[in-house]
Amino acid sequence: MKQALYISVMLGLVPFQVTVLNYAGIAGIRPDLPLVAAFLIGFLSGEMEGLLMGVILGCMQDLFSAGSVWINLITKGAIGALAALLGRHLASATPVMVGALLFVVSVLAGSTAVVWLRVEDGFAGVLDIIQAVVVPEALFDAALGAAIYWILPGRRRRAAEFGDDMALFGR
Amino acid sequence: MLRALSGTTRLILLLLALLLSVIFLLPKQTRDVLQAMGKPVSALVFFPVEAFTSVEQTIIGVWQEYVALRHVREENRQLRRDLELLQKQNSDLRESASGAHRMAALLDFKEQFIPKTVAAQVIGRDSTNWYSSLILNKGDRDGVRPEMGVMTSAGVVGRVVKTGPFSSVVLLLTDPHNAITGIIQRSRDEGIVEGTTQGRARIKYLPLLANLRIGDTVVTSGLTGGFPRGVVIGSVLSLQKEEGELFQSAEITPEANLSRLEEVLVITVPRSLDGQANLKEK
Repeated sequence: MKQALYISVMLGLVPFQVTVLNYAGIAGIRPDLPLVAAFLIGFLSGEMEGLLMGVILGCMQDLFSAGSVWINLITKGAIGALAALLGRHLASATPVMVGALLFVVSVLAGSTAVVWLRVEDGFAGVLDIIQAVVVPEALFDAALGAAIYWILPGRRRRAAEFGDDMALFGR
Repeated sequence: MLRALSGTTRLILLLLALLLSVIFLLPKQTRDVLQAMGKPVSALVFFPVEAFTSVEQTIIGVWQEYVALRHVREENRQLRRDLELLQKQNSDLRESASGAHRMAALLDFKEQFIPKTVAAQVIGRDSTNWYSSLILNKGDRDGVRPEMGVMTSAGVVGRVVKTGPFSSVVLLLTDPHNAITGIIQRSRDEGIVEGTTQGRARIKYLPLLANLRIGDTVVTSGLTGGFPRGVVIGSVLSLQKEEGELFQSAEITPEANLSRLEEVLVITVPRSLDGQANLKEK
Protein backbone atom coordinates (compact mmCIF):
# COMPACT_ATOMS: atom_id res chain seq x y z
CA MET A 1 0.00 0.00 0.00
CA LYS A 2 2.75 2.41 1.01
CA GLN A 3 4.81 1.50 -2.06
CA ALA A 4 1.81 2.08 -4.33
CA LEU A 5 1.26 5.46 -2.72
CA TYR A 6 4.92 6.41 -3.17
CA ILE A 7 4.88 5.34 -6.85
CA SER A 8 1.71 7.38 -7.42
CA VAL A 9 3.33 10.39 -5.75
CA MET A 10 6.49 9.91 -7.84
CA LEU A 11 4.65 9.65 -11.15
CA GLY A 12 1.73 11.97 -10.48
CA LEU A 13 2.91 14.85 -8.34
CA VAL A 14 5.23 16.65 -10.79
CA PRO A 15 2.80 16.25 -13.76
CA PHE A 16 0.06 17.67 -11.50
CA GLN A 17 2.37 20.54 -10.51
CA VAL A 18 3.16 21.55 -14.13
CA THR A 19 -0.40 21.23 -15.48
CA VAL A 20 -3.42 21.45 -13.19
CA LEU A 21 -1.76 23.48 -10.45
CA ASN A 22 -1.36 26.44 -12.83
CA TYR A 23 -5.04 27.18 -12.14
CA ALA A 24 -4.46 27.20 -8.36
CA GLY A 25 -1.89 29.98 -8.47
CA ILE A 26 -2.46 33.35 -6.84
CA ALA A 27 -0.76 36.17 -8.78
CA GLY A 28 1.20 33.53 -10.67
CA ILE A 29 2.58 31.90 -7.52
CA ARG A 30 1.82 28.21 -6.95
CA PRO A 31 2.62 26.00 -3.97
CA ASP A 32 5.62 23.69 -4.34
CA LEU A 33 3.97 20.27 -4.00
CA PRO A 34 7.21 18.23 -4.19
CA LEU A 35 8.61 20.32 -1.30
CA VAL A 36 5.50 19.75 0.81
CA ALA A 37 5.52 16.04 -0.05
CA ALA A 38 9.24 15.58 0.74
CA PHE A 39 8.79 17.40 4.06
CA LEU A 40 5.72 15.43 5.16
CA ILE A 41 7.17 12.08 4.07
CA GLY A 42 10.38 12.80 5.97
CA PHE A 43 8.49 14.11 8.98
CA LEU A 44 6.17 11.10 9.19
CA SER A 45 8.29 8.25 7.83
CA GLY A 46 11.91 8.98 8.71
CA GLU A 47 15.22 10.05 7.16
CA MET A 48 15.62 7.35 4.54
CA GLU A 49 12.18 7.74 2.94
CA GLY A 50 12.25 11.53 3.24
CA LEU A 51 15.67 11.77 1.66
CA LEU A 52 14.98 9.34 -1.19
CA MET A 53 11.55 10.72 -2.04
CA GLY A 54 12.94 14.25 -1.84
CA VAL A 55 15.78 13.39 -4.23
CA ILE A 56 13.44 11.59 -6.68
CA LEU A 57 10.78 14.32 -6.66
CA GLY A 58 13.43 17.05 -6.89
CA CYS A 59 15.07 15.32 -9.85
CA MET A 60 11.72 15.04 -11.66
CA GLN A 61 10.97 18.66 -10.88
CA ASP A 62 14.34 19.70 -12.33
CA LEU A 63 13.60 17.82 -15.56
CA PHE A 64 10.48 19.97 -16.09
CA SER A 65 12.08 23.26 -15.12
CA ALA A 66 14.36 25.63 -17.00
CA GLY A 67 16.99 25.42 -14.23
CA SER A 68 19.98 23.12 -13.83
CA VAL A 69 19.35 19.44 -13.13
CA TRP A 70 20.42 19.45 -9.51
CA ILE A 71 19.04 22.43 -7.58
CA ASN A 72 15.75 20.79 -6.61
CA LEU A 73 17.35 17.38 -6.36
CA ILE A 74 19.63 18.65 -3.58
CA THR A 75 17.19 20.99 -1.83
CA LYS A 76 14.26 18.55 -1.81
CA GLY A 77 16.49 15.67 -0.64
CA ALA A 78 17.88 17.84 2.15
CA ILE A 79 14.36 18.93 3.13
CA GLY A 80 13.21 15.29 3.35
CA ALA A 81 16.14 14.41 5.63
CA LEU A 82 15.85 17.59 7.70
CA ALA A 83 12.11 17.06 8.21
CA ALA A 84 12.82 13.58 9.57
CA LEU A 85 15.36 14.95 12.04
CA LEU A 86 12.88 17.60 13.14
CA GLY A 87 10.11 15.00 13.41
CA ARG A 88 12.33 12.81 15.54
CA HIS A 89 12.72 15.61 18.09
CA LEU A 90 9.12 16.76 18.16
CA ALA A 91 6.89 14.39 20.05
CA SER A 92 3.65 16.28 19.63
CA ALA A 93 3.62 18.32 16.48
CA THR A 94 0.40 20.16 15.72
CA PRO A 95 -0.67 21.19 12.20
CA VAL A 96 0.19 24.80 13.07
CA MET A 97 3.67 23.75 14.12
CA VAL A 98 4.12 21.74 10.91
CA GLY A 99 2.95 24.76 8.91
CA ALA A 100 5.43 27.04 10.70
CA LEU A 101 8.31 24.59 10.12
CA LEU A 102 7.35 24.24 6.47
CA PHE A 103 7.32 28.02 6.09
CA VAL A 104 10.84 28.31 7.48
CA VAL A 105 12.15 25.39 5.41
CA SER A 106 10.50 26.70 2.24
CA VAL A 107 11.92 30.21 2.72
CA LEU A 108 15.41 28.77 3.35
CA ALA A 109 15.28 26.44 0.33
CA GLY A 110 13.81 29.11 -1.96
CA SER A 111 16.27 31.79 -0.84
CA THR A 112 19.23 29.43 -1.32
CA ALA A 113 18.08 28.59 -4.83
CA VAL A 114 17.42 32.23 -5.77
CA VAL A 115 20.78 33.40 -4.41
CA TRP A 116 22.50 30.66 -6.39
CA LEU A 117 20.57 31.55 -9.56
CA ARG A 118 21.49 35.23 -9.31
CA VAL A 119 25.22 34.74 -8.54
CA GLU A 120 26.22 35.51 -12.14
CA ASP A 121 24.26 38.78 -12.12
CA GLY A 122 25.85 39.96 -8.87
CA PHE A 123 22.75 39.04 -6.84
CA ALA A 124 20.70 41.63 -8.72
CA GLY A 125 17.06 41.61 -7.68
CA VAL A 126 17.51 38.83 -5.08
CA LEU A 127 15.55 40.65 -2.38
CA ASP A 128 12.78 41.50 -4.86
CA ILE A 129 12.47 37.83 -5.85
CA ILE A 130 12.51 36.65 -2.23
CA GLN A 131 9.80 39.16 -1.37
CA ALA A 132 7.67 38.58 -4.47
CA VAL A 133 8.12 34.84 -5.03
CA VAL A 134 9.82 32.95 -2.18
CA VAL A 135 7.79 34.28 0.77
CA PRO A 136 4.34 33.98 -0.89
CA GLU A 137 5.24 30.47 -2.06
CA ALA A 138 6.38 29.57 1.49
CA LEU A 139 3.05 30.81 2.90
CA PHE A 140 1.25 28.69 0.32
CA ASP A 141 3.40 25.65 1.19
CA ALA A 142 2.85 26.17 4.92
CA ALA A 143 -0.94 26.38 4.57
CA LEU A 144 -1.10 23.37 2.29
CA GLY A 145 1.29 21.31 4.42
CA ALA A 146 -0.61 22.11 7.62
CA ALA A 147 -3.91 21.17 5.97
CA ILE A 148 -2.56 17.87 4.63
CA TYR A 149 -0.96 17.06 7.98
CA TRP A 150 -4.25 17.75 9.71
CA ILE A 151 -6.12 15.19 7.59
CA LEU A 152 -3.34 12.60 7.17
CA PRO A 153 -3.93 9.23 8.84
CA GLY A 154 -0.13 8.97 9.32
CA ARG A 155 -0.36 11.73 11.89
CA ARG A 156 -2.51 9.52 14.05
CA ARG A 157 0.00 6.67 13.73
CA ARG A 158 2.80 9.01 14.63
CA ALA A 159 0.92 10.31 17.62
CA ALA A 160 0.28 6.76 18.78
CA GLU A 161 3.96 5.91 18.39
CA PHE A 162 4.89 8.77 20.66
CA GLY A 163 2.08 7.93 23.07
CA ASP A 164 0.68 11.44 23.00
CA ASP A 165 -3.06 11.39 22.70
CA MET A 166 -3.31 15.17 22.64
CA ALA A 167 -1.41 15.32 19.35
CA LEU A 168 -4.44 13.70 17.69
CA PHE A 169 -6.50 16.73 18.46
CA GLY A 170 -4.03 19.26 17.19
CA ARG A 171 -3.03 20.67 20.54
CA MET B 1 21.98 14.53 16.17
CA LEU B 2 23.97 12.35 13.73
CA ARG B 3 24.48 9.68 16.39
CA ALA B 4 20.76 8.95 16.28
CA LEU B 5 20.98 7.96 12.59
CA SER B 6 21.34 4.38 11.41
CA GLY B 7 24.31 3.17 9.34
CA THR B 8 22.38 3.15 6.02
CA THR B 9 21.10 6.66 6.58
CA ARG B 10 24.60 7.89 7.36
CA LEU B 11 25.81 6.22 4.15
CA ILE B 12 23.08 7.93 2.10
CA LEU B 13 23.82 11.29 3.70
CA LEU B 14 27.51 10.75 2.91
CA LEU B 15 26.67 9.92 -0.72
CA LEU B 16 24.50 13.02 -0.95
CA ALA B 17 27.32 15.16 0.46
CA LEU B 18 29.69 13.54 -2.06
CA LEU B 19 27.26 14.27 -4.90
CA LEU B 20 26.99 17.88 -3.74
CA SER B 21 30.80 18.22 -3.69
CA VAL B 22 31.10 16.75 -7.21
CA ILE B 23 28.38 19.14 -8.45
CA PHE B 24 30.24 22.15 -7.06
CA LEU B 25 33.67 20.98 -8.25
CA LEU B 26 32.65 19.84 -11.75
CA PRO B 27 29.41 21.72 -12.54
CA LYS B 28 29.52 21.36 -16.36
CA GLN B 29 30.32 17.64 -16.40
CA THR B 30 27.82 16.85 -13.63
CA ARG B 31 25.07 18.79 -15.40
CA ASP B 32 25.63 16.79 -18.61
CA VAL B 33 25.64 13.46 -16.72
CA LEU B 34 22.51 14.33 -14.72
CA GLN B 35 20.78 15.58 -17.88
CA ALA B 36 21.56 12.31 -19.70
CA MET B 37 20.44 10.23 -16.70
CA GLY B 38 17.24 12.23 -16.46
CA LYS B 39 16.10 11.65 -20.05
CA PRO B 40 14.50 8.20 -19.44
CA VAL B 41 12.80 9.57 -16.30
CA SER B 42 11.55 12.54 -18.30
CA ALA B 43 10.11 10.14 -20.91
CA LEU B 44 8.33 8.19 -18.16
CA VAL B 45 6.85 11.28 -16.51
CA PHE B 46 5.80 12.74 -19.89
CA PHE B 47 2.81 10.37 -20.16
CA PRO B 48 1.09 11.46 -16.91
CA VAL B 49 1.76 15.08 -17.93
CA GLU B 50 0.06 14.50 -21.27
CA ALA B 51 -2.83 12.68 -19.57
CA PHE B 52 -3.41 15.65 -17.23
CA THR B 53 -3.16 18.02 -20.20
CA SER B 54 -5.71 16.13 -22.31
CA VAL B 55 -8.23 16.11 -19.43
CA GLU B 56 -7.60 19.83 -18.93
CA GLN B 57 -7.97 20.54 -22.68
CA THR B 58 -11.23 18.59 -22.84
CA ILE B 59 -12.73 20.59 -19.98
CA ILE B 60 -11.51 23.89 -21.45
CA GLY B 61 -12.75 22.88 -24.93
CA VAL B 62 -16.26 22.06 -23.74
CA TRP B 63 -16.48 25.30 -21.78
CA GLN B 64 -15.09 27.52 -24.53
CA GLU B 65 -17.27 26.00 -27.25
CA TYR B 66 -20.38 26.56 -25.19
CA VAL B 67 -19.48 30.18 -24.43
CA ALA B 68 -18.35 30.86 -28.02
CA LEU B 69 -21.67 29.62 -29.50
CA ARG B 70 -23.48 32.55 -27.95
CA HIS B 71 -21.58 35.04 -30.11
CA VAL B 72 -20.72 32.94 -33.11
CA ARG B 73 -23.08 34.53 -35.67
CA GLU B 74 -21.83 38.07 -35.09
CA GLU B 75 -18.24 36.85 -35.00
CA ASN B 76 -18.74 34.98 -38.28
CA ARG B 77 -20.05 38.11 -39.99
CA GLN B 78 -17.08 40.12 -38.73
CA LEU B 79 -14.64 37.42 -39.83
CA ARG B 80 -16.09 37.40 -43.36
CA ARG B 81 -15.57 41.14 -43.60
CA ASP B 82 -12.00 40.74 -42.31
CA LEU B 83 -11.37 37.92 -44.77
CA GLU B 84 -12.38 40.04 -47.74
CA LEU B 85 -10.10 42.81 -46.59
CA LEU B 86 -7.21 40.42 -46.00
CA GLN B 87 -7.67 38.79 -49.42
CA LYS B 88 -7.27 42.17 -51.02
CA GLN B 89 -4.20 42.92 -48.90
CA ASN B 90 -2.78 39.47 -49.68
CA SER B 91 -3.11 40.08 -53.37
CA ASP B 92 -1.30 43.43 -53.06
CA LEU B 93 1.43 41.86 -50.97
CA ARG B 94 1.92 39.02 -53.46
CA GLU B 95 2.42 41.55 -56.16
CA SER B 96 4.94 43.48 -54.06
CA ALA B 97 6.73 40.28 -53.00
CA SER B 98 6.99 39.14 -56.57
CA GLY B 99 8.60 42.46 -57.53
CA ALA B 100 10.97 42.34 -54.56
CA HIS B 101 11.92 38.75 -55.38
CA ARG B 102 12.84 39.67 -58.93
CA MET B 103 14.91 42.58 -57.68
CA ALA B 104 16.69 40.41 -55.12
CA ALA B 105 17.54 37.83 -57.76
CA LEU B 106 18.80 40.55 -60.03
CA LEU B 107 21.07 41.95 -57.35
CA ASP B 108 22.21 38.43 -56.43
CA PHE B 109 21.02 38.84 -52.82
CA LYS B 110 20.69 35.73 -50.79
CA GLU B 111 17.17 34.88 -49.77
CA GLN B 112 16.71 36.12 -46.25
CA PHE B 113 14.84 33.34 -44.54
CA ILE B 114 12.08 30.81 -44.71
CA PRO B 115 12.59 29.01 -41.41
CA LYS B 116 11.81 25.35 -40.98
CA THR B 117 9.60 24.84 -37.98
CA VAL B 118 8.00 22.11 -35.89
CA ALA B 119 4.55 22.81 -34.42
CA ALA B 120 4.24 21.92 -30.74
CA GLN B 121 1.54 22.04 -28.11
CA VAL B 122 2.08 23.71 -24.74
CA ILE B 123 1.41 21.02 -22.11
CA GLY B 124 2.53 22.76 -18.95
CA ARG B 125 4.42 25.52 -17.17
CA ASP B 126 7.67 25.44 -15.18
CA SER B 127 7.59 23.13 -12.17
CA THR B 128 8.99 25.92 -9.94
CA ASN B 129 8.09 29.58 -9.46
CA TRP B 130 11.67 30.71 -10.19
CA TYR B 131 11.55 30.58 -13.99
CA SER B 132 9.08 31.68 -16.65
CA SER B 133 9.06 28.67 -18.90
CA LEU B 134 6.77 26.38 -20.88
CA ILE B 135 6.77 22.63 -21.41
CA LEU B 136 6.16 21.47 -24.99
CA ASN B 137 5.03 18.06 -26.22
CA LYS B 138 7.90 17.82 -28.75
CA GLY B 139 11.43 16.75 -27.87
CA ASP B 140 14.58 15.03 -29.15
CA ARG B 141 12.59 12.58 -31.26
CA ASP B 142 10.99 15.42 -33.21
CA GLY B 143 14.28 17.16 -33.88
CA VAL B 144 13.97 19.76 -31.11
CA ARG B 145 17.34 20.73 -29.60
CA PRO B 146 18.48 23.21 -26.92
CA GLU B 147 19.04 26.81 -28.12
CA MET B 148 16.39 26.57 -30.86
CA GLY B 149 14.09 29.57 -31.12
CA VAL B 150 10.36 29.33 -30.39
CA MET B 151 7.72 31.64 -31.90
CA THR B 152 4.06 32.01 -32.75
CA SER B 153 2.56 33.75 -35.76
CA ALA B 154 2.52 36.90 -33.59
CA GLY B 155 6.19 36.88 -32.62
CA VAL B 156 9.02 35.53 -30.48
CA VAL B 157 8.14 33.32 -27.49
CA GLY B 158 11.56 32.24 -26.16
CA ARG B 159 14.18 29.56 -26.68
CA VAL B 160 14.52 25.87 -25.88
CA VAL B 161 16.77 25.23 -22.88
CA LYS B 162 16.22 21.57 -22.13
CA THR B 163 14.96 18.56 -24.08
CA GLY B 164 13.73 15.07 -23.23
CA PRO B 165 12.75 12.33 -25.69
CA PHE B 166 9.13 13.54 -25.90
CA SER B 167 9.16 16.96 -24.31
CA SER B 168 11.16 20.16 -24.08
CA VAL B 169 11.39 23.20 -21.81
CA VAL B 170 11.22 26.70 -23.34
CA LEU B 171 12.54 29.71 -21.41
CA LEU B 172 10.23 32.63 -22.13
CA LEU B 173 11.32 35.98 -23.50
CA THR B 174 10.25 37.64 -20.23
CA ASP B 175 12.52 35.51 -18.01
CA PRO B 176 15.54 37.44 -16.62
CA HIS B 177 17.82 34.54 -17.61
CA ASN B 178 16.96 34.94 -21.30
CA ALA B 179 18.76 37.20 -23.79
CA ILE B 180 18.10 37.63 -27.53
CA THR B 181 19.70 40.15 -29.88
CA GLY B 182 17.15 42.54 -31.32
CA ILE B 183 17.01 45.62 -33.51
CA ILE B 184 14.63 48.55 -33.68
CA GLN B 185 12.92 47.99 -37.03
CA ARG B 186 12.65 51.67 -37.97
CA SER B 187 16.07 52.99 -36.91
CA ARG B 188 18.06 49.68 -37.21
CA ASP B 189 19.68 50.26 -33.78
CA GLU B 190 20.80 47.03 -32.18
CA GLY B 191 20.48 45.92 -28.54
CA ILE B 192 19.95 42.92 -26.26
CA VAL B 193 16.41 41.93 -25.29
CA GLU B 194 16.22 40.53 -21.77
CA GLY B 195 13.45 39.59 -19.38
CA THR B 196 13.01 41.48 -16.13
CA THR B 197 12.31 40.26 -12.59
CA GLN B 198 8.86 41.88 -12.91
CA GLY B 199 8.01 39.48 -15.76
CA ARG B 200 8.34 42.02 -18.58
CA ALA B 201 10.98 42.49 -21.33
CA ARG B 202 13.52 45.23 -21.98
CA ILE B 203 15.92 46.09 -24.79
CA LYS B 204 19.30 47.21 -23.40
CA TYR B 205 22.59 48.59 -24.71
CA LEU B 206 21.02 50.85 -27.33
CA PRO B 207 23.30 53.75 -28.39
CA LEU B 208 22.58 57.03 -26.60
CA LEU B 209 22.02 58.75 -29.94
CA ALA B 210 19.56 56.11 -31.14
CA ASN B 211 16.33 57.74 -32.26
CA LEU B 212 13.71 55.74 -30.37
CA ARG B 213 9.98 56.35 -30.24
CA ILE B 214 7.26 54.76 -28.16
CA GLY B 215 5.52 52.19 -30.32
CA ASP B 216 8.63 51.28 -32.38
CA THR B 217 8.72 47.61 -33.35
CA VAL B 218 11.62 45.47 -32.10
CA VAL B 219 12.60 42.49 -34.28
CA THR B 220 15.25 39.76 -34.03
CA SER B 221 18.61 40.64 -35.56
CA GLY B 222 19.41 37.08 -36.63
CA LEU B 223 22.99 37.42 -35.37
CA THR B 224 22.75 35.00 -32.46
CA GLY B 225 20.48 32.28 -31.16
CA GLY B 226 18.01 30.18 -33.06
CA PHE B 227 16.08 33.02 -34.70
CA PRO B 228 16.19 34.29 -38.26
CA ARG B 229 16.30 38.03 -38.85
CA GLY B 230 13.08 40.01 -38.72
CA VAL B 231 10.84 38.03 -36.36
CA VAL B 232 8.78 40.47 -34.28
CA ILE B 233 9.69 40.57 -30.59
CA GLY B 234 7.46 43.39 -29.40
CA SER B 235 6.91 47.14 -29.38
CA VAL B 236 8.52 49.88 -27.29
CA LEU B 237 6.40 50.81 -24.29
CA SER B 238 8.65 53.31 -22.49
CA LEU B 239 12.17 54.71 -22.80
CA GLN B 240 14.85 54.86 -20.11
CA LYS B 241 17.69 57.31 -20.74
CA GLU B 242 19.63 58.29 -17.62
CA GLU B 243 22.32 60.91 -17.27
CA GLY B 244 25.86 59.58 -17.14
CA GLU B 245 24.90 56.24 -18.67
CA LEU B 246 26.64 55.04 -21.82
CA PHE B 247 23.55 53.38 -23.24
CA GLN B 248 19.81 53.78 -23.18
CA SER B 249 17.19 51.07 -22.74
CA ALA B 250 13.50 50.64 -23.41
CA GLU B 251 10.78 48.52 -21.90
CA ILE B 252 8.96 46.47 -24.52
CA THR B 253 5.62 44.71 -24.67
CA PRO B 254 6.00 41.23 -26.20
CA GLU B 255 3.91 40.80 -29.33
CA ALA B 256 2.97 37.20 -28.50
CA ASN B 257 0.61 36.78 -25.55
CA LEU B 258 2.94 34.72 -23.36
CA SER B 259 0.39 34.01 -20.64
CA ARG B 260 -2.10 32.32 -22.97
CA LEU B 261 -0.05 30.16 -25.30
CA GLU B 262 -1.46 26.88 -26.54
CA GLU B 263 0.51 26.11 -29.71
CA VAL B 264 3.93 27.35 -30.77
CA LEU B 265 6.46 26.81 -33.56
CA VAL B 266 9.99 25.61 -32.80
CA ILE B 267 12.47 26.93 -35.38
CA THR B 268 14.61 23.93 -36.28
CA VAL B 269 16.46 25.61 -39.17
CA PRO B 270 16.52 29.42 -38.96
CA ARG B 271 17.86 29.95 -42.49
CA SER B 272 16.58 28.03 -45.48
CA LEU B 273 19.41 26.47 -47.41
CA ASP B 274 16.86 25.35 -50.04
CA GLY B 275 15.90 28.97 -50.55
CA GLN B 276 19.48 29.90 -51.32
CA ALA B 277 19.84 26.95 -53.67
CA ASN B 278 16.68 27.95 -55.55
CA LEU B 279 17.97 31.45 -55.96
CA LYS B 280 21.25 30.24 -57.44
CA GLU B 281 19.35 28.14 -59.98
CA LYS B 282 17.54 31.27 -61.16
